[in-house]
Amino acid sequence: MAGRHITAVIVDDHAAIAAGVRYWCERADPPIELIDARARMANVWTGPGAAADVVIFDLELVPKNPAFGELRLLVDEGRRVVVYSQHADSGTVLRCVNLGALAYLTKTEGPEHLVPAIQAAADGRPYTAPSLGGVLIADDDPSRPRLSHREAEVLRAWFASSSKELVAARLNISVKTVDTHIERVRVKYANVGRAARTKSELVTRALHDGLITLADLGDDADPARP
Amino acid sequence: MSDDPRTAVERSTRAQLMSRLRVGILAAASGGLLLLCLPNMLRDWAVYEPAWAQVVSFAALAGVLCVEGVLVVRGRLWPASWQWPAVGVVVLASVLSYSTLPYGHAASAGDWIFGEATWVGLVVLLSRPLPVHLGFLGLHWSIALVNMLLATDVGRVAVLRFATGSVGVIGYPLCMAVTAAAFRGIARSAAAAKWETERVAVAEAAAAQSHLRRRQRFADLDLSTMPLLEGLASGRLDPADPRVRRDCAVEAARMRRLFAEVDVVPNRLLHELRHCAEVADRKGVLVELDARGRWPEPPLPVRRDLTEAPLTVLATAASWARVTVVGGPDLVSVNVLADCGPLDLPRPATPGVRLETFSAGERLWVEVRWQAGTSPR
Repeated sequence: MAGRHITAVIVDDHAAIAAGVRYWCERADPPIELIDARARMANVWTGPGAAADVVIFDLELVPKNPAFGELRLLVDEGRRVVVYSQHADSGTVLRCVNLGALAYLTKTEGPEHLVPAIQAAADGRPYTAPSLGGVLIADDDPSRPRLSHREAEVLRAWFASSSKELVAARLNISVKTVDTHIERVRVKYANVGRAARTKSELVTRALHDGLITLADLGDDADPARP
Repeated sequence: MSDDPRTAVERSTRAQLMSRLRVGILAAASGGLLLLCLPNMLRDWAVYEPAWAQVVSFAALAGVLCVEGVLVVRGRLWPASWQWPAVGVVVLASVLSYSTLPYGHAASAGDWIFGEATWVGLVVLLSRPLPVHLGFLGLHWSIALVNMLLATDVGRVAVLRFATGSVGVIGYPLCMAVTAAAFRGIARSAAAAKWETERVAVAEAAAAQSHLRRRQRFADLDLSTMPLLEGLASGRLDPADPRVRRDCAVEAARMRRLFAEVDVVPNRLLHELRHCAEVADRKGVLVELDARGRWPEPPLPVRRDLTEAPLTVLATAASWARVTVVGGPDLVSVNVLADCGPLDLPRPATPGVRLETFSAGERLWVEVRWQAGTSPR
């Protein structure tokens, strides 16, 4: 991913957020070009925003009214979306993941998570921030995908420590293995519920790269997830 | 019967006060029935029309007296709902007895019920106010009077016999009714005093209980907070010493937790953790707190174990701390990560709670887990 020029468009009604994200993007390595849609969805669909690799999407442009419809339209169009939201309740987070968002970050999560999330999304890969890890580990929906003991352990440690180095050191594994476990969880989640282009791409790629096998997806291959 | 506790106290006090009076009246009524009425009735057995009616009346009065006997033994007053039926029985007995009394026997020895019914009525109505007694005596006397006017040659002798008989028949029970009425007033003030005494005793017992509870709750603080305060007061401990300041922060967090423990909130564990985190927050430590999942409420000793290590880490943190809780139906895991350096943490006291620490440079990561179902609830 290093070296590739990434463009992202941000839709957020708080000017300070857009400015802060721009600052983080400029300092990223390599710098990410950020387009500010000025809280208007039209600027995501037309003009320079339409060509951006990643959409950074504030779920609550209208207070108390999460824009799941807009998110669905973006994902159906094949856009790679990073949801960046004030909202942190588990139901909302799971719904965004189910719709096909590649990352979900709460606004307490700063550049150490947002920048890697944008970079991963530009590549069509998911990014699981600690808060999302916590939501996935506590998910008690009967149709949730089955996680292995190790995956659950890694995810729980990631949520607790917010540092992959610490997780790796504590569990005596490499940081790359930590990443693999977390990504496998996301692939399993991408394989259930509503069909979306970003999700099927993710599963196909994971199978192709040998990150996961059909047997891993096994029983959870097609349960209906609301 | 009343459910009002105050009325109940008054009733029981009155029952105690009147018990001797009742025994006396019961003895007089029973004695009269067996030693006077029975021989008189048997002597005039042949003149009644018919005699069995007298036996029924006699048995009715005897039945009422038996009920009184049982109540006296049990130390209870007549239930209000029984009194009127019992009085009805007495009145019917006297009507039945008079209706089968042959002509010319009013207020004679054969008219045994004239003197007895008033005592039995007195027994039943003893707890009632004086006017009720007067009403009953008046009714009984009227029945006897009607009988005399209809079934006797109303002459000088008959009227005099009836009048002299009335003095004893009405007078003695009336004296007893007046005495009982006086007892009512005494019982009321005695009951009020007793009620007050009981109220004070209950209040004292409650105060003693809450004092004991408070002492138990503060017992832990006695072991840790008191030596610290004494050390500071005596100058033995230096407030400038970072270790003393750390200990103070830990004690402050424990006290905050203690205060939070009595709050009624939906998620007590999180509530108490928030209070522990606030002490760090006040020191300027940046605290992140995130909780996910749903879990059954751990009992207090488990909650203390789950929060004890985190509160120590939080109180010691230099600049930042991350506190997370993940829970499910059978497992609760509390994690805290902070730049507090290596620490010696107390081991959990309850079974089913496990503590794990992982140290990396200045960063300390503590996990406390509770496996639900392994601890006594």
